[in-house]
Amino acid sequence: MQNQLATMLEEAGREIEACATANDILNTKAKYLGKKSLLNGLYGRMKDLEPSERPAFGNLLNEARQQLETLLNAKSSAIKAQSWKKENTDMDFSMPGMPSSRGGYHPLSIVRRQIDEVFISLGFEIAEGLDIEDEFHNFDALNTPADHPSRNLADTFYVEGGRLLRTQTSTVQIRVMESYQPPIRIISPGRCYRNDKPDPSHSPVFHQVEALVVDKGISMSDLTDTLQNFASIMFGARVRSRIRPHFFPFTEPSAEMDISCVACSGAGCRVCKGSGWLEMGGAGMVDPNVFDILGIDSEIYTGFAFGLGIERIAMLKYNIPDMRILFENDLRMLNQFRGEL
Amino acid sequence: MKVALSWLKKYLDIPESVSELSDLLTFAGIEVEDVKELKALPASVIAARVVSAEPVPKTDHLQLCQVDVGEYPFAQKGEDNCVQVICGAPNCHSGMIAVLALPGSILTDLEIKSAKIRGIISNGMLCSERELGISDSHAGIIELPQDVLVGTSVNELYMLPDVVFDLEITPNRSDLLGYLGIARDLGAKLNRKLIEPELTELSVNFDRLKLGLKNMEPELCPRYTAQVFDNVQIAESPLWLKVALIKSGLRPINNVVDITNYVMLETGHPLHAFDYDKLASEDTNASHPDIVIRKARPKEEMLALDGRSYILEGDELVIADGQKASAIAGVMGSEFSGITPQSRRIVLESAAFHPGSIRKTSYKLKLSSDSSYRFERHLAADKAHLISQRASNLIQELAGGELCGPLYDEYPNPLPDQYLAIRPSRFQLLIGHSMSDAEIQAYLSCLSFEFKGYGRYQKGLQSSLEQLLVNDASVLPSQEYAHYYLVPSFRVDVSREADILEELARLSGYDKVPQKLVNQQIMDRHAYRIRNKIMDWMVNWGCYETLNYSFCDPRQMEDLGYEPQSLPFINLINPQSSNQSVMRVSLIPQLITNLAYNLNHAERNVKLFEQAKVYHKTETGHQEPMQMAAIFSGMRSAEHWQSKAQTIDFSWVKGCLESMLGSFHLPHTSRSCERPYLVTAESRAYFSEDTELGVFGRLKPELLAKWGIDLSILKQDVWIIECNVDAIVAKTRSVSITYQPISRFPAVLRDLSFLAPLQVQYQDIREQILAIDPALVQEIEVFDEYRSKQIPEGFRSLSMHIILQDQEKTLTDERVDQLMDLVQKTLTDKYDIRMR
Ligand SMILES: [Zn+2]
Repeated sequence: MQNQLATMLEEAGREIEACATANDILNTKAKYLGKKSLLNGLYGRMKDLEPSERPAFGNLLNEARQQLETLLNAKSSAIKAQSWKKENTDMDFSMPGMPSSRGGYHPLSIVRRQIDEVFISLGFEIAEGLDIEDEFHNFDALNTPADHPSRNLADTFYVEGGRLLRTQTSTVQIRVMESYQPPIRIISPGRCYRNDKPDPSHSPVFHQVEALVVDKGISMSDLTDTLQNFASIMFGARVRSRIRPHFFPFTEPSAEMDISCVACSGAGCRVCKGSGWLEMGGAGMVDPNVFDILGIDSEIYTGFAFGLGIERIAMLKYNIPDMRILFENDLRMLNQFRGEL
Repeated sequence: MKVALSWLKKYLDIPESVSELSDLLTFAGIEVEDVKELKALPASVIAARVVSAEPVPKTDHLQLCQVDVGEYPFAQKGEDNCVQVICGAPNCHSGMIAVLALPGSILTDLEIKSAKIRGIISNGMLCSERELGISDSHAGIIELPQDVLVGTSVNELYMLPDVVFDLEITPNRSDLLGYLGIARDLGAKLNRKLIEPELTELSVNFDRLKLGLKNMEPELCPRYTAQVFDNVQIAESPLWLKVALIKSGLRPINNVVDITNYVMLETGHPLHAFDYDKLASEDTNASHPDIVIRKARPKEEMLALDGRSYILEGDELVIADGQKASAIAGVMGSEFSGITPQSRRIVLESAAFHPGSIRKTSYKLKLSSDSSYRFERHLAADKAHLISQRASNLIQELAGGELCGPLYDEYPNPLPDQYLAIRPSRFQLLIGHSMSDAEIQAYLSCLSFEFKGYGRYQKGLQSSLEQLLVNDASVLPSQEYAHYYLVPSFRVDVSREADILEELARLSGYDKVPQKLVNQQIMDRHAYRIRNKIMDWMVNWGCYETLNYSFCDPRQMEDLGYEPQSLPFINLINPQSSNQSVMRVSLIPQLITNLAYNLNHAERNVKLFEQAKVYHKTETGHQEPMQMAAIFSGMRSAEHWQSKAQTIDFSWVKGCLESMLGSFHLPHTSRSCERPYLVTAESRAYFSEDTELGVFGRLKPELLAKWGIDLSILKQDVWIIECNVDAIVAKTRSVSITYQPISRFPAVLRDLSFLAPLQVQYQDIREQILAIDPALVQEIEVFDEYRSKQIPEGFRSLSMHIILQDQEKTLTDERVDQLMDLVQKTLTDKYDIRMR
């Protein structure tokens, strides 16, 4: 009987493998596990055995039944899966996939948002103000002498009503200091205007971001660390930064900020004109006069400020040779920045 | 830990109310988990003697009792001052003093009335502790000591009213595991003196009873003290002691065990008592028993006081007699050596154990007790003899025990004094406000930190003050100027300056910590987010962002169809050229310029937007509103070999604006819009209430010629979106998303197809259907519009899904059919639609 069983199992295995449809499975199942199946018959013949042999043989039959059921179930699942879809073998896998229809941000927006992110992560608030300002907030409050050349029509745009288009976003800092007592940690990004003819490195309309920190115990070392943080987040961990003496009316001491050249890493190249350093903007400790004008006690509080040109950062970051490219809005330029940000 | 106010008041003057006290504990850093008020009982609940107790026939447990109430005035009592009461408690017996609640008494949850039970009058009830609200025990009626006067008010006996605080003690504060510790901390908070129990030196009858003491594990048991007593009368504890334990959640057992528990609750330090006569000697010839502190032998077995037998592995510390384990050290005593009513001579243990060892044993045996709970939190060794003395005093007073020998004391390595420096300047730096030297000393003195003098700061615990204190500390710089304190040994949690600074901050109150202005909220975060989201939306819809100068050419506004005089231009005094002579009032002209530029550079599909300010002159000055404008022409998406690109049309542009407003959860309405540069029939304006949020529409083809765009060649429409960004920012400030519960019942989808007259708007049909049953109609989705010659003139065919769902129940077919019939009828009546 055991031989019979083995032959049956072998035969059934082959037939199950040959099944192609759900119906085949049903027929095969009936043949090998149904009422008239050999297996069922063998169960009936158990009584002919010696009682001592019955349990062992019973186990054998059960095992055979289980084996058949497992095979049938596996084959049945395989047939069901295939009935939905056959493998596609004659497809050209190199044909382009569905394209994205997403557009993109202007590179200046990309840079502006990255700068926002850097400073928000450093605990700064973003403050905004008006583009059309008065002379007090653009010049007087910033300690600019009345006869300073930057106030000339040749340098600054004026509009009717005695007002002007802000030449830097320091105006926002002044307005914030008028409304809030320290601690103040802000950046003020926005549009600025200077009466320059458009050329590769000038634009009458440009974008700036200025930072201002006023609190107890703020020193120049807070400035240098903030600058280094900014430089390494924007341009990479290896970029170094430095400050060197300069003059601005509203900071004392004043400084010019440099970062190591992003093109040559400081070795000297065309971009940095051989110096290994790139100018990033002006900085310094807020002049006590500015605090006095605004009613902040300069004995208790100190602060630093700096300003960065967004166009310059974008041009350095993306190797854009001419500032005017940024205002042409040519899709062939714009679509190079899709997916950025 | 359960702390009864009546008991706590023994150690501290506390006139505060319960809620004040709760707050004080909480702000002292001791969390109050629960406050249970034990109310005063009515005067008619009194002590009474059960004179007789006879079984009531035909019941298995009821007894008829005559209860003597003495002189207590009560109408139903007999001439013998007895009241008849039926009682079902098994422990009710004649001669006992019980608690009787007379009729009219209102207990926690029942009112006592005269009642007939099995035809017999019962004039009151004999009470259990639970019925009086004193504890959860309902094991039987209360049996008061025989010396209680009949007629005494139970309030007096049980010190009611009272309050029991359930306090959560943090694991680092083992010193708070007793009443004294809690009182000390509260006292420090309130600057009140702790009242410690007085200890009396007992006279000793030397040499009567000896005890051998051998400590083989000084690491695990740094100190072991024992005292031996003779002639102890084991009996019930006096009522005050029982009541104290009951309120703190312990069951009274007998006077000696109760005293060890009482002293444990008082001091936080567990004690144990052995029956001297049950302890064996190491040497069978010796005349006295031994106590050996050792590790268990492998497989050593001990039947503990909880009735269970424990098989030890070998690394547990045990207190053995000369032969076998008689206690699992610090965890539980053995049955055989426990105090029984027959005990006459006892050994009182007061010891200190290694916390880790106790924890390990307790964990391994799954056996924890009030004792192990305390020892595993680390108790100091140096006061063990005083704790023993406290218990000895009580044993002599309450159990008549006679002290029979010296204090046996195994204390090989006494704890050294330890000093700690703290700097007031450091407190100011860490906590934010300053504290005077005197304030600091007052708080710490209440906490038993002894002030030793001023000196130069040294970090960490110091074993000697030599060379640390200075005569004139005022010359020290503030960051070195320090106070030196002797750390009380029970404060095992204090080893650094920061630990003491924490105590000071806690006691002076966290409410005194000043809030320093760290950050001024200057940024308009909502505006920032919404502006960025609008830009993100446009980019995701396929647009590229442009940036244009803020100046513009006033003639271009004329080209858009405006009267130049009507526009609020701000003129530049010194423009660079005449086509940049004003501040821009609209973003549109430059976007058309950008479109023309890109068309000229062979780009056919253009989707651009700019989000920027425009500038308006006003009567008083000017405004700079933020706007977003977009321009579209050509295909919706890039061509792809699998799917044909579709043209940008009304529906696509509408979808862009509408779904953006939808994504901000802004309810809005739309109507047709008049702009000089838009084709009116193909333009819509969107409003929230009366505020215009945005418009979209098709640019008038004829004006594009001014920008050099020839539509006869281009052959594609140009579309515009303009958004009033400031209005969207303002309107979204109040928007919030509220989760709606999801119906547990399935939704039903039905389709509706009909012919509708051309002048009937989808919007009206939709609103009609929604209005029929707003609770049921969840959504309407139009999925087909069809116009053809097969359809009667003046009609179009519309097909829509109607999705129905009930929050409360499964919708039946009947209900759905009924509703759909109503929909058809309403639409037919109202709009002359024809069903298909
Ligand atoms: Zn370089």
